[in-house]
Amino acid sequence: MRKTYRRAFRKVGNEALRGMDLTVPEGSAFGLIGPNGAGKTTFIKSILGIVQPTEGTVRVLGGSPEDPRIRARIGYLPERLHLPGSWTPTAFLATVTRLKGLKPDAAADLRLLERVGLADAVGRKIGGYSKGMRQRLGLAAAMVGSPSLLILDEPTDGIDPMGRLEVRRILLEEVRKGTTLFLNSHLLAETERVCDRVAILADGRVVREGRLEDLARGEARWMVRFAPGVDAGALTAAGFKRGSADGVFHVEAQDPMALNAALDKARAGGALLVELRRDGADLESVLLGTVAPAGAVGVAA
Amino acid sequence: MNPVLGIAGYVLREAVARKFILAFVVGITLVLSVVALSLRIEVVDGALAASRLFGEELRASIRSVDVALRPVYTAAAFIVFYGGILFGIVACSDFAPSLLSPGRIEHLLALPIQRWHLLAGTFLGVMVLALGGTLYGTTGLVLIFGVKAGYWTAGPLIAGLMACVGFAAVYAVMLTTATLVRSAALCAASGFLFLIGGVIAGFRQQISPAFEEGLSRSTFEAVTLMLPRLSSLAVAAGNIASSTPLEVNSLGMLLLGVLVFGFGALAVGFWRFEGKDY
Repeated sequence: MRKTYRRAFRKVGNEALRGMDLTVPEGSAFGLIGPNGAGKTTFIKSILGIVQPTEGTVRVLGGSPEDPRIRARIGYLPERLHLPGSWTPTAFLATVTRLKGLKPDAAADLRLLERVGLADAVGRKIGGYSKGMRQRLGLAAAMVGSPSLLILDEPTDGIDPMGRLEVRRILLEEVRKGTTLFLNSHLLAETERVCDRVAILADGRVVREGRLEDLARGEARWMVRFAPGVDAGALTAAGFKRGSADGVFHVEAQDPMALNAALDKARAGGALLVELRRDGADLESVLLGTVAPAGAVGVAA
Repeated sequence: MNPVLGIAGYVLREAVARKFILAFVVGITLVLSVVALSLRIEVVDGALAASRLFGEELRASIRSVDVALRPVYTAAAFIVFYGGILFGIVACSDFAPSLLSPGRIEHLLALPIQRWHLLAGTFLGVMVLALGGTLYGTTGLVLIFGVKAGYWTAGPLIAGLMACVGFAAVYAVMLTTATLVRSAALCAASGFLFLIGGVIAGFRQQISPAFEEGLSRSTFEAVTLMLPRLSSLAVAAGNIASSTPLEVNSLGMLLLGVLVFGFGALAVGFWRFEGKDY
């Protein structure tokens, strides 16, 4: 898919997406990350039919995003949701419910507000809400009608750490219920904790995509920590490389057999194993490692 | 629920929360109350014998009530027409830009409604607002003079409805402007310009000789030919309100012209909105 924003009186438009190709498995929690200007927001808007692609097609839930019946199954929280300040949250949710073609259900709206932590602020006008409370209300609006696909653009923006925990819990509950989650968040730790698949966008293209553990996996490298007093020379001879901390070593092993053989050698030399884990990278490292070569290291998402 | 009605309800709920619209309703109520409480009319055998405003006698010759009230209803019709449209331009200028603002339009477009529902609903909501305000004011006026003078006429109500037709064309232009630029100021400016153009169009025959014969006059005539004759509509509204013969040749054609222009402007807005990225 390609998207070029044409400008009046200019021959050359702004290319936001340059051949984007992405499939999001149903029922997955999918994270979209990338530097500023990578095309994430344009992509999200394309999924919803808010932006029409210059080339290519978008298929969502087996149909076109232009089809209102498809959009009825999507819940969306925009990045900067502008809410009517003079309304109460219940009036807002009732309107969203009606516009989604559903019957107004005051009890269900109250349950949603309670779920996002706004039970105490039901009687207040939205204008008096903090940024975090507005985000929570936006999340509640996105969840009206139990959509099959939740598209959330910075859902925890402005929410305090305790609130983030609650939001994360809600999102994980939704995923467990079978809802497909599409998340765009600049908080990589958030994406890491919620999503099982991630796509990295840079310069309007998907540069990496896959399961989070596959992206974060450090090939065949393992981190091993031994009890103090270990013979570093013997370990080096057995193929271990000294790490940054005391007692920490790294070893390359393509399969469990090779790993256990290396560990057996170390133990034979008197080393006592304390900790073993795959030498994985966090999402930030993965992102930086992916986009840095292009010279586009910036604030993610 | 029909999405158009849903969006219209959205707009009306927004409008109710606006203080200056509430102030306008309070203002109309106050004016009607003042007129009702301060005006005394004495009618004898269907003729206006005496009238007092704030206790001061208004000197006038004895005339039948309907004739005596003609200037009042004519003035009221013009106030409702021009005052109402001007207030509508100011009060409703930011409804569409507000709905199309970043963070709100994305949310609305992601809902299962068609794009045209959004514009049609906004238009409908604003027109319901205009119709409500107009009928409130004109009905109050008819009731006051009906009770005090015993003269009942639907003229001011019809004149009010004609003002709403005029405002519909003006707001169609404003709504179309909002699809091009999300600016309340530019929406209001386009409404004002269109209103002035519509007033000039109504007097095009009289103004035309002021232009030098040739290109300038032809250009003026061509431009004003495209615009609906709002001032003619206002004159017709005044005639109907005061139950006097119509000065325009064909009211039907005049109303049709205004409506066709309004729908044409709306069609341009719908077409622009359908293909626009937000």
